[in-house]
Amino acid sequence: MSSLRIVWSLMCFLPRLVVLATLVFAVTNFAPLVVGLLMRAFFDRLSNPLGATPTIWWILVLVLAIQTGQQVVFAFGNRVSVSLEFSVAALLRRNMFERVLQFPGAKALPASPGEAVSRFRSDSSELMLTLSRTINAAVASAAALIAIGILISIDPFVTVVVFVPTSVVALLTRLVGGRIRTYRRARQGATGSVSGFLGEVFGAVQAVKVAKAEHAILQRFHQINEQRRVNAVRDSLLNQLLYALYGGTVALGTGGILLLMAAGMRSGRFSIGDFALFAEYLSLVTGLPFQIGALLAHYHQISVSYARMLELMPGSAPQDLVKAAPVYVTSAPPPLVHPVKTPADRLRLLEAHSLSFRYPGGGGVAGVHLRLPRGSFTVVTGRIGSGKTTLLRVLLGLLPRDQGEIFWNSERVVDPASFFVPPRAAYTPQVPHLFSQTMQENILLGLPEDQVDLAAAVRLAVLEPDVTVLEQGLDTMVGPRGVKLSGGQVQRTATARMFVRDAELLVFDDLSSALDVETEKRLWDDLFALQEATCLVVTHRRPALRRADHIILLRDGHVEAEGTLNELLRDSQEMRWLWHADDTH
Amino acid sequence: MDLPLGQYWRLLRTYLRPQWPLVLVVALLLLSGIGVRLAGPPILRAFLDRARQAEPLSQLTELAFLFMGLAVLQQIVALLQTWSSANLGWAATNALRRDLALHALSLDMSYHHAHTPGELIERIDQDVTEMATFFSQLVVSVIGSLLLLVGVLIAFYLVSWLLGLAFTVLSLTGMAALYRTRALAAPHWAAGRRTSAELTGFVEERFAGTEDIRSSGAVAYKMHLLYDIMRRMLERYGAARVNGNWSFFAMHMTLMVGTAMGLGIAAIFYLQGRVTIGTVYLISAYTGTLAWPLYDLTHQVQEFQRVGGSIQRVYDLYSTPRLINDGPGCTFQAGPLAIEFEDVTFGYVPTEPVLKHISFRLEPGEVLGLLGRTGSGKTTITRLLFRLYDPQAGSIRLGGEDIRIARLADLHAQIGMVTQDVQLFAASVRDNLSFFDPTLPDERIMHAITELGLHEWVSRLPAGLDTELTAGGGISAGEAQLLAFVRVFLKNPGLIILDEASSRLDPGTERLIERGIAQLLKGRTAIIIAHRLSTVTRADKIMILEEGTIREQGDRRVLMRDANSRFHQLLRAGLEEALG
Repeated sequence: MSSLRIVWSLMCFLPRLVVLATLVFAVTNFAPLVVGLLMRAFFDRLSNPLGATPTIWWILVLVLAIQTGQQVVFAFGNRVSVSLEFSVAALLRRNMFERVLQFPGAKALPASPGEAVSRFRSDSSELMLTLSRTINAAVASAAALIAIGILISIDPFVTVVVFVPTSVVALLTRLVGGRIRTYRRARQGATGSVSGFLGEVFGAVQAVKVAKAEHAILQRFHQINEQRRVNAVRDSLLNQLLYALYGGTVALGTGGILLLMAAGMRSGRFSIGDFALFAEYLSLVTGLPFQIGALLAHYHQISVSYARMLELMPGSAPQDLVKAAPVYVTSAPPPLVHPVKTPADRLRLLEAHSLSFRYPGGGGVAGVHLRLPRGSFTVVTGRIGSGKTTLLRVLLGLLPRDQGEIFWNSERVVDPASFFVPPRAAYTPQVPHLFSQTMQENILLGLPEDQVDLAAAVRLAVLEPDVTVLEQGLDTMVGPRGVKLSGGQVQRTATARMFVRDAELLVFDDLSSALDVETEKRLWDDLFALQEATCLVVTHRRPALRRADHIILLRDGHVEAEGTLNELLRDSQEMRWLWHADDTH
Repeated sequence: MDLPLGQYWRLLRTYLRPQWPLVLVVALLLLSGIGVRLAGPPILRAFLDRARQAEPLSQLTELAFLFMGLAVLQQIVALLQTWSSANLGWAATNALRRDLALHALSLDMSYHHAHTPGELIERIDQDVTEMATFFSQLVVSVIGSLLLLVGVLIAFYLVSWLLGLAFTVLSLTGMAALYRTRALAAPHWAAGRRTSAELTGFVEERFAGTEDIRSSGAVAYKMHLLYDIMRRMLERYGAARVNGNWSFFAMHMTLMVGTAMGLGIAAIFYLQGRVTIGTVYLISAYTGTLAWPLYDLTHQVQEFQRVGGSIQRVYDLYSTPRLINDGPGCTFQAGPLAIEFEDVTFGYVPTEPVLKHISFRLEPGEVLGLLGRTGSGKTTITRLLFRLYDPQAGSIRLGGEDIRIARLADLHAQIGMVTQDVQLFAASVRDNLSFFDPTLPDERIMHAITELGLHEWVSRLPAGLDTELTAGGGISAGEAQLLAFVRVFLKNPGLIILDEASSRLDPGTERLIERGIAQLLKGRTAIIIAHRLSTVTRADKIMILEEGTIREQGDRRVLMRDANSRFHQLLRAGLEEALG
């Protein structure tokens, strides 16, 4: 998508602010034109022996008045600019955020969370000023054209002096455009590496401390930082080099105008007032190539940031990033609407045919069939790396399936990712993520407390004993990613989060890995007591395997065997290998 | 601003001193820039007066070329300035980033439990980036602006003492206005930066947990939280900009009066026949030149207000004390180490003890099986051993030495740990195993892998040790645990802690690496934490925790045979389960 189209889309998103900003920039850019004319009058009156002296004082008063007005408008314009900038950033950020959240949740982002954050924050900031700069450049160009018109009426030769440098600058920017983008991409990439690395290190701070790896880590960090220094300096230098070249052409233009004036004044064609006018308009007119060149270079740079942001939104069309959507930067959004379970949501039978997914680096699942009747308990098992978690994710749309079809009550599910959400399905991942909020907020995630049975969910997840021990109970802040809780507590909080959603289908991955024997027993007992629930579970645990209605045994991504435990123990070597390994119990 | 001025100087001194040649270059370029700026108007005056006197065109052409040459020179100076100040800024901030990262890494876990990785990214990277101009330009520019201001005023005095005096008064008025309005924006900038940090922390955490958000149907809820932060950002940065504009407004007004005053005085002089029209123009041009240093000063003062919040936050992080510090130091003997807990009481919040009066002893080479419900304090015991926290009462000895006497690095070198959740980096398998230590030879890594019986697993990886693990993808949670075992093997410590180390492995794989684990534990003291009883069969001693106290401890075989022991009951329950 070209930068101009990006700019146009953003303008269409904020028409009111764009009009206001145009008015503001018009005042600030056109005022100097008037002031220039007044200055000419001032010098002409002054140098003319017959000039009426009182008028020069009036002229000065008028200049004062215009400049005061200009400042007042400018102060107001500041407010407009801020709104413009932050609305643009908000739109880009909301679109990115929404897309990242809607993207198959378990598929790796094209960057680590820390690096993704850098794209989210820094790259969107790069576009914040684009609208103001574009509008200002447009209005300033209009003002410059008027100034040129006035100057041409004094001396037509001025055209050459102005337009030659402008074309030179435009050509120059075009020539180095590729380099501008390359350097900018390298710089932004290096910035992403820095924050990505920091994010990983501080996400793993305990592991780093325990491994005593602080110094090796810092050395690596410094390397990444130095890499960025080199890239950033190169980027800034190219930018400044362009500016210097623009400045150089401007200087040539200025010199040309000076010589023009010298000739004019010698011949008497030029008054001292004309000279003052020329001097006043000089920066306006010769600045035109500079303005245009700088804007073009900026367009090259934002195209890099735009592409980097788009990479966070795989599968999206380029225009999706600037698609108009409410951003609520000035007023609160309308209250959330919570889905209510309808009879149509009621699960009778869930079927999946030949589900397949392959990771780019190899591994995955291939040709898996599933059949989950209401109230059934299905276990997926197999050795590590056999594709158990992948299978759940593919079913739930958290990974995009390469092949296969899914039927809910014999109706085809087109987009499982948006279909398998509460109240139809709820999920506890193998390594659940909590957020820096209270335990209760982590369980509810926005659900209204008075419309759900929080207490029952907490009880079912065997979280009750923990809640009574914690001094602030459910209001305990769990810390970043839940670090203040024990591993088992995190897992059970996530389980409560699943239960509170009262979903038809419960999917959980390796639930018991962080539970002690007795807690685990209670959990299984309570679960099997839920007659209505349909469960799909990844586990190696014997109580679950024994009570399962159906077991799917995976090996290297394929179904090795399936059936009840007894059937599998009888028929499958792999199942016996897994089962008897646990014999020491 | 809360920070005393002395702290700014200290920051500048610390990080600019190693870069003094660059600082010198930046300062020299700045001075030459001022010279070039002051030289412009006199050339124009000469040009104007000569043009009026109809001097030969060649002389005028010379002046025009001189003017052009000066402008080109100005661009060259600007280019050099960019190069030197960009390098200076990055060099100084990179050094600061490194020190900050080291400090943050050394901070206690209690700090990290209250601050998200995103927040730290914001402080160590974004806040420091904000400070780049502070290091590379701010002080030098302020001095430069003041010099330029003095230069212009001298030029006015050279034309007429009256003009000089008038503009001196004007400049002082402008600076007074600047002083009065300088701090209006600072609190808003600080609030804005805080909101930025909040946004970064929020987004980083959510990006890491997309799977949870998506599958819980909580996308709309998270969008709402984002809207809320973005709304506050506009509010705060808007307030900062609007308040910061007062300084500019005041300066504009002052300069406007100045322009009118300059032209007025010049007109009167001209009408009295005291100056040429060229001088009138010179005065008008110098009034314009006077605007530069005054606007620059305004800009610099506002910039200082803006980065003040960042500097404050960086300084706060820098001065956050470590609660857990190195002891005077001691030497641990090589080989297995004894562990002794003596009446240890500890709570993450002091009023909520997680461990109460814990005492136990483990002889060198013994293996302790630690059992108990989740949240009963098992993991906390291992954290105390590492001195990730210090107990509120009691003492812990390792190899006979109180661990508070040891230096932290020495202590950490003695202990290896595998936990349930393994954190991986988006880097090669090798870097993940060696924690980016480039000196570790591949042979040692492969040796550790072979010892653990994982050779086959590694050979299945697409590029062996060079296989890049991507963020959130690549290997399963179970495979990550295998990597963690290799990490510990490479470290070769005297004490090993396995905290639910094989919980994510399937029983088959667990058995596969059993020999490897036996190898790992040979000649070492070990604590094995497990929910599953099968995992503690290799333990010599058993300890069962309940709500922070020791419910039972003793020799495993003795407890196993004692029908009244809790361990015996647990075994029976497990057996029933296995058979039932």
